[in-house]
Amino acid sequence: MSTRLTKALEFTNYRATLNNQKNQLKAKTQSLLSYSINGGSFTIDVPLITFCKQLLDEGQKEVVLLDIYKNPIKVDVEKFYDEIYSRYFEVTNDYYAEYEKLRQSRKVHKILDLNEEE
Amino acid sequence: MKKNNKRGVLMFAHNNTEIDYFKLAVVNSLLVQKNLGIKNITVVTDPHSLEHGEKTLGKRLIKKAINNIIVVEKDKKFKESNLRVYKDTSHKAETLSFYNANRCDAYDISPYEETLLIDVDYLVLSNTLNQCWDHNNELMMNWKYQDIMFERKDDTLKRLHDTGITMYWATVVYFRKTEYVKNFFELVKHVKQNAPYYRDIYRWPGTLYRNDYSFSIAAHMIEGFVDKAIPQLPTTLYKSFDTDDIHSADGLNSIIMYLERPDEPGNFILTKWKDIDLHVMNKWAINRVSKELIDYVK
Repeated sequence: MSTRLTKALEFTNYRATLNNQKNQLKAKTQSLLSYSINGGSFTIDVPLITFCKQLLDEGQKEVVLLDIYKNPIKVDVEKFYDEIYSRYFEVTNDYYAEYEKLRQSRKVHKILDLNEEE
Repeated sequence: MKKNNKRGVLMFAHNNTEIDYFKLAVVNSLLVQKNLGIKNITVVTDPHSLEHGEKTLGKRLIKKAINNIIVVEKDKKFKESNLRVYKDTSHKAETLSFYNANRCDAYDISPYEETLLIDVDYLVLSNTLNQCWDHNNELMMNWKYQDIMFERKDDTLKRLHDTGITMYWATVVYFRKTEYVKNFFELVKHVKQNAPYYRDIYRWPGTLYRNDYSFSIAAHMIEGFVDKAIPQLPTTLYKSFDTDDIHSADGLNSIIMYLERPDEPGNFILTKWKDIDLHVMNKWAINRVSKELIDYVK
């Protein structure tokens, strides 16, 4: 096999590892953006945060929101908003840092934080 | 049994001639304590598995990991008849006894008002399952799963049969002690006791009895024969398969896995799985790294 082909095949292995690792990061982020309160579960995302901010701006104190099961859940808007807002940025900032590290890893062992000899 | 039985984790661990399920239960109990902060852990086992565990792990470690051990006798006939192929990657396969006869008794056995029933090979590497406690849904389990080799797809795991009902995974089940849930488990028992009949009706493949099948059928029946009627857990079920392997446990809640490439059986890519719970179907693989896992959590 030519050297160029060997290198190309090595590169596909690197890309496959990188893509799978990116998916792992996405999975972890999704999992951390799931939030359960008062017997219901929510996915923290931009529409939910924006909607809650609007409710706060309108002076709402307690509202009923539909959770991921479409069940009605009563929440204290201010507490709920504070929690989802801070959690969203904690999670996405971590995601960004880990994603950037991954993006700059040019070898399989670097993607996995392994010593080259392992 | 300790006080405060409101919430707890329940696992079943019956060894066969190759797989040390009890050891897996000890490893997972330590992970549960560390990550979920739950001390109430019940493990249902049999005299032989417990005795082997005491010899190999020591009573002290077992006591530290599990605060309630329930010892039951195995149903010998079931043990001898329920055989399955266990794989340790594509390179090794063995037909061994698969003793899963008493999981249908989980409701009766559980001393807790709220229970997380989990497989011993479902490694709790995060606190996400804490989202289940006090939930409005009194019974939850997943029918969706995600393979951690993201490009690998297997449509045969979606349903009991090509034209049949959706398959729920009994890997992780959250339940509360209510009349509804009691009836659900009665149905699971009924399906198990009449397995040949339900195998014909629901056309599940092969002769192996799996709790995934009986839980799926009970889920279908209890809501008036409706598909996907029982809500899923608020967490995704991530799975690796028995054709995969573990490279190492490289830190607390971090495992490096060999994942078999779908286009090249026997060839692998590596992935680092960190801070997310994972169902590891290759039991030999967990046993191989169990010492490292114990060292990180104990």
